Formats: sequence, structure tokens, C-alpha cells
Amino acid sequence: MTQPDEPILEVRNLKIAFSTEDGLLPVLHGLSYTLPKGRVLGVVGESGSGKTVHALSILRLLPPTARITEGEIRYRGRNLATLGRAELRKIRGNKISMIFQDPAASLNPVLAIGEQLTETLLAHRKMSKSAAREKAVKLLEKVGIADAEKRLHEYPFQFSGGMCQRVMIAMALALEPDVLVADEPTTALDVTVQAQILKLIKQLQQQSGMSAVFITHNLAVVAGIADDVLVLYAGLCMEYAPASQLFERPLHPYTQGLLNSLAPVHRKVEVLPVITGHPPVPGALPAGCPFAPRCPFVFEKCRRECPPLFEENGRRTRCWLREGK
Amino acid sequence: MIHYIVRRLLMLPLVVLGVTFLLFFLTQRLSPEMRASLYVKDPRQMGSLEEVIRQYGLRDNVFKQYGRWLGNVVKGDLGYSPSANMPVSQAIKEYLPATIQLAFVTILFVVFFGVWFGCGSAIHKDEWKDIVARLISVGGFSLPIFVLGLLLLMIFYGQLGWFAPGGYSVYTDMIIHGGAFKTYTGFLLIDSLLNGNLRVFWDVLNHLVLPAVTLCIGSFALMVRVMRSSMLEELNKDYVRTARAKGLSKWQVVYKHAGKNAIIPVITLASIQFIRLLGGTVIVETIFDYPGIGRFGVIAAQQLDIAGILGFSLMVAVLFVLGNLLSDILYTAVDPRIRLE
Repeated sequence: MTQPDEPILEVRNLKIAFSTEDGLLPVLHGLSYTLPKGRVLGVVGESGSGKTVHALSILRLLPPTARITEGEIRYRGRNLATLGRAELRKIRGNKISMIFQDPAASLNPVLAIGEQLTETLLAHRKMSKSAAREKAVKLLEKVGIADAEKRLHEYPFQFSGGMCQRVMIAMALALEPDVLVADEPTTALDVTVQAQILKLIKQLQQQSGMSAVFITHNLAVVAGIADDVLVLYAGLCMEYAPASQLFERPLHPYTQGLLNSLAPVHRKVEVLPVITGHPPVPGALPAGCPFAPRCPFVFEKCRRECPPLFEENGRRTRCWLREGK
Repeated sequence: MIHYIVRRLLMLPLVVLGVTFLLFFLTQRLSPEMRASLYVKDPRQMGSLEEVIRQYGLRDNVFKQYGRWLGNVVKGDLGYSPSANMPVSQAIKEYLPATIQLAFVTILFVVFFGVWFGCGSAIHKDEWKDIVARLISVGGFSLPIFVLGLLLLMIFYGQLGWFAPGGYSVYTDMIIHGGAFKTYTGFLLIDSLLNGNLRVFWDVLNHLVLPAVTLCIGSFALMVRVMRSSMLEELNKDYVRTARAKGLSKWQVVYKHAGKNAIIPVITLASIQFIRLLGGTVIVETIFDYPGIGRFGVIAAQQLDIAGILGFSLMVAVLFVLGNLLSDILYTAVDPRIRLE
């Protein structure tokens, strides 16, 4: 049995690089975090920050050109980064499952929904096909798809994007996994549908008590769902904090910038503040802090030396301003 | 779907009319005397040419003559082929099954090995297996049929004597034209088995091997390429990642998920190739002296056998439309997006 605070997933110094014609191109420079049971970790970052690569690496679904160069991904004590293929397959979709950004493309266009659902069940459990079908109907009902019996025979193109994501969620939760990895699950959806899907994920996560890694570029999405937030920038963790604290008092200038650029709901603003400049290109990181060229509080040391993560009250911040606090 | 099939079938007469009229029009470039002389066997009867011209109305305008031909076709009469020395419809009945048989065996080879090599090539991209498959594919693609056919004939018939060229052995000919041999389907491979005569079966198969292998090579090379690129494209798609994330076996991911999508262009290619083979085994049938419809068409063309040429083209046009229809129907079997829309 798992103790309440025993970590389900533990990532230690994870480094990922793409192999290119000019050699290895690192995109994630040593990411570490622990995910306790029943908690949701929100990973926030802009494109190129390494967030999706990190999500894919958990189940070793990286494209062939990318690979884990260092570090560990421990699930219940086993290192997924080096686990044998057969063992890894028993974990995929069973103990750790994943949902993706583009739900319509993530389902096979020529297989019926029912087939795609039941094959997940049959891959990991010994059960009859009819039992799997019954379970599939229940799963579809659970994620709010009406007329589930009939819709089992339908194909992805007969479903809307939101409905496809519901099917993906049903598929991911079919075997009651310990961890759900959600890679931008609402990005491709309409705003209203986004809210519904988020609510559904949150509700199902709380019911089952599973843990989740929720990857998004949108801080507002994280606010409603995550217990802890990890802010990624240029392949580095910039800030790690419980969600409530992070939103109340962001410590890192980058996080502050991100929060400032969210449109406030209760008052009108003429111009939304933005973070000027662009994130660094992978492989062309500045010598010091990668955020230094865009940071409003930058000083000399920032340009010279990249700060480590400073710990204070359970929070971690990669900024020289937090040194000694 | 039924709507679609009906619409396709309605196109059939249009295509047939177009093709045959064009050819009919071309044959009119020959003078009536020349056309009439085709029906006169004995040089001493050349004086009666005018009579033949009058009897068959060879001086009438094109449309009238075409209409007459068409009327006969509708009644099932395709005319008499002097080159085959029998009515055209009978010639088709006699030679077409042999060609269908050849085309079918060929396309089975092509699809089986093409899919196998293509998939292997895609899965082991840039490894030695892929490189070998690509080399074979490029080689096969650039080897002309008549060169390969002659080479195979030289080695396997001339040197080794393993396989025979076309034409059946005397024994087979005697059996199949004897009274005891019942014709069920017209396909000798099937009929010989139904008659329980294994010797005929082996003989027919023996005569099929070299022409089939020759025909295979070009289509096979193309099939490997299409299968490979189609598989590579599918393997990169999001749903394949999902399938892997679900913990499915590699076999399931590749063949069930990617394969079912990757096979769609292969179906098109296979049916196009099959139709092409039905009307286009001309060279191979000539090289191997194989008693098929292609050889009939060549001889008819060489001997200015107008009825034979028209009958042959009519048949090819019909097969072409039906073959395309077949490929569309096969499509719907694998792709629900087409089936249900």
C-alpha cells in the first residue's frame, strides 16, 4: 500500500536532447520534482520550453530523434528511463496513461471508438470481449457521452473535438491508473469546451485519487486544476511552488510577467502587459540566467552565472534575487 | 454508397461508347475496299469485293456503321475475328480467363511481397533491411519487362529447364479439349482442381510462373515504395503515439493501427495495377507465347482485324470501369470515412 505522502512519480535531474546533424541539442537541462499521490502538478511553459518533451519522456514516447541523456524517472521505485520494453508496456496505459493536445488526431481514424477503448482494456486485463465492451459503455457514460452503447460503433470523424477528448480521457482512465499525464489537453478546443473538459478531468481525478501531471502554456488553466505548479523556461525549472502561493505571490520575474499578461476579469485594461523579447533558441542559451535578456530586474551577476534553485518554505525559485532569503 | 455504385455504373456505357467510337472512327481511315478484303480469304474472289462492301454497308457514313456495330454488340454479337478464326465473343471467352488468371496470380505476388517488403522497409528505416529492399525496388523499377522476360526465359527455360514458356503441354491441351474435362469457371487453375486433375493443375501453374514473375517486378517495385512511404507517414501520426501510450504491443501498433491506414493507397495501386495487367500483359504474353487476351489483341492489331480490335478495346474499357468500381468498394471496406459519408 502507498503511504499518503509517498511519491508516486519522482523525476530526478532529467536531461533530454535532440540529436541533430551538428550533434546533441539539449532541450531539458536537469528537471527534478516529486509527485505525491493524489496531487496534480501543473507544468507551465511557452513553446520550446521543453514541457511537451518532458511529458512524452515519462512514458518514453519521445520521437526517435530525441533521447533521455541523463537522469531518472522513478515510478514506485522503478526507473522508467531504463526499464525494459516489456515492463514499460505493462505500465503504459495501465499504471500511467496519457492524453494529448489534438484529440481528433490522437484517435485512429479507421477504427471504431469501441474497438479503441476495448483494446486498451484487453491489452492489460484478462477479460472477455463482451465484458470489455460493457466496461467501455460505462467508461463513455462516465465521461459524459450520451447514447454510449450506440456511439461505440462510431468513428472519430463522427465526434467533435471535445467529444474526442472525452473518449481519450475515458481511454486513459479505463484501467484506473496511478498517474495521468495530460499534454495540453484543452489547447485545441473551444474555450467553452475547454472549461468542460477541465472540469471533467478535475472531477475524475478527485474521484479516483490519482495523481496527474498537467502540461499547459496557459497559467489560467493551471489555476483551476493544479495543486503545485512548475514553471519551465528554456528547459529549466524557474519556479516551483504550491499553486495558491504561486498565484498569490509569484517570486520569479518570469512568473510575474506571465501572471501580469493574463487578462484580468474584473477590470478593464487598455493594453495587456507583455514580456518583451523572445525565449532563447535551444542550443543558443545565454551564459547566465536564460531569462536575463528579458528580465526587468536583471543585474550584472545574472548575465554571468545561471542561478541555482533557491529553496524557501517549500518553494523553489531560480533567481539571484532570492539568494539568501 | 449504393447511390455511388449506381452512378459509377451509369458511367460505364459512356466510357465504352467513347473508346469504341474513337477506334471505330480511326478504322474508317482505311478504304472500304481494304476493310472488305479482310473478309475475303481466297485471292480468286477479289472480284467480289464490291459485293462485300454493299452487303456490309462499308460505304455508309461512320455513324450509321457504328450504330450497326453497336446494335450487334447489344445483341451479343461482336463480329467475326479473322485473325483468331472465330467469333470475337468466343475468342474473349477463350483467352480472357487465362489472362485474368495470370493477372490475379501476379497481383497476389505483388501485394504480398510488396506489403511485406514495404512494411519491413518502413519499420527498419535506414537499416540494412531497408537499404536492401530499396535497392531491389529501384532495380526492379528500372528493369524493362522485355529484358527481364527474355533473361528469365533464357535462364529458367533455356539453361535450367525448370519452367516452361507459355502454351500448355500437349497433354494439357488434349485433356482440356477432350470431352471428359468440364469447364466450370474458365480458369484452368480452378477447373483442373475441380476436375481432380492435378497434372493439368501443375502444368498450368508451371506455365504461369515465368510470365507472372516478369509481370511482378515493375509493380512490385512500385508497391514497395508506396507501402514504405505510406507506412512511414502513418507511423509519424499522433494516433500511433496514442496506441503506444496505451501499452499495445509493437505488432498491434504497427499492423493494426498504422497498417490499416497505410494500406489505403496500396489498395488503389493494386487495383490500378490489376486493371493494367488485364489489358496490358501484351508484351509478356508475346514473349512467353502465353495464350491470353493480350496476345489475341496484338495479333488482331497486326492483322488489321477490325472486329477483333474493337472487341478487345470494348472489353478493356468495361474491365477498366469495373476495376475502378471494385477499388472504390474495397476502399469503403477499410475506410469508414468513405463508407459512412
